[in-house]
Amino acid sequence: MTEQPLEVLIVEDEVLLATELEFLVEEAGCRAIGHAMSSDEAYDLATTFKPDLALVDVHLRDGPTGVEVARRIAENCSGVALFMTANIKRLPADFAGACGVIGKPYSEHGMKMALSYLRVCLRNGRAPGRPPAGLELAPVFAKRWGAFDYPLVV
Amino acid sequence: MGRDGTKHDMTDLTKSSGIDDPRVDLEAVVAERTQALTEALAQKTALLHEVDHRVKNNLQLISSLLLLQNRRAGDPAVKASLRGVLERINAIATVHRRLFQSEDVERFDVSAFVRDLISDMAGLSARDDIQIRLDLERVDVAAAKAAPLALVVSELLSNALCHAFPEGRAGEIFVGITRLGGDFRIEIADDGVGLETSARKLGFGLTIVQLLCQQLKARCETTAALPGTRVVVQLPVNGAHS
Repeated sequence: MTEQPLEVLIVEDEVLLATELEFLVEEAGCRAIGHAMSSDEAYDLATTFKPDLALVDVHLRDGPTGVEVARRIAENCSGVALFMTANIKRLPADFAGACGVIGKPYSEHGMKMALSYLRVCLRNGRAPGRPPAGLELAPVFAKRWGAFDYPLVV
Repeated sequence: MGRDGTKHDMTDLTKSSGIDDPRVDLEAVVAERTQALTEALAQKTALLHEVDHRVKNNLQLISSLLLLQNRRAGDPAVKASLRGVLERINAIATVHRRLFQSEDVERFDVSAFVRDLISDMAGLSARDDIQIRLDLERVDVAAAKAAPLALVVSELLSNALCHAFPEGRAGEIFVGITRLGGDFRIEIADDGVGLETSARKLGFGLTIVQLLCQQLKARCETTAALPGTRVVVQLPVNGAHS
């Protein structure tokens, strides 16, 4: 494949989780361009490097500020955010402009599948199928990418 | 008890108020008590969600630690051991991921988490030559049984994936869940090399299956499927097998 790898920013205050996630991102054929632990750091890195995708934990070093990070990325940067949280129900209904959420604890395979899937969505503007297990898309993005135009495989 | 911890004595209350209609005071007491209970319930729910949040995050931390250590390990035997532990932690994590996502926190849809588990395990095995066929009926179990059950399914599926199809032999693994009277039945069958020819022995994985079936009061039977192996786990929905 000659296409540019997806550039990914990791916004996560648990360093061990973030370190492992960097490996997973690279293994999924993406490029990890940085790691932020607080909302300020996240916003600085997002505006400087303009990542295609930001993986955003809801709870950061400065509190439950991940939602605001996602909203600011959606409003001011060209990329999209994807939440990673143990508390999916507490996300706002509009996902704060993020493209979706992956529930914690996510699996190694689940995260890689989600990254490959989002790479196609972001590059082609169209989903390659229904979202993989573990990935929930925001309604706006599911519609934009036609994620549910595909039949349900049981 | 009132919010301040004092006990409301109805007789005292009506006597001391000295009014014509004691119902007015009673209504006030009921309203106060209702508010106190509502607040207590809200607090309890918030705490429960906080604990759930921590369990999920800690499971994520444990699997990240194991994955990191696995990257550093050079010895294939050490790597295989770490993979085994990771697989088991992942089975438990699969259950917890779905916990609290549904409205009912007491009951648990077995088919939903088995589908997640299979997707993960088949994906990680990277064996495109093994087809997975599913026939999953929706069956609910008590939430407390979900983690042991996930471990049993994980071990059996792992056995089939690792041992039934050696040296690139292609084939199919079938996973079925059905209701059967008062029981439900989980079947994991492969059309691989069969018990006698495969390298399967009574390893730690099968010990886990035996122990957990005891705990779940389940029956586990392994038979030759000709070709291959069929394992059937039969679990009472309520109570024990006679």
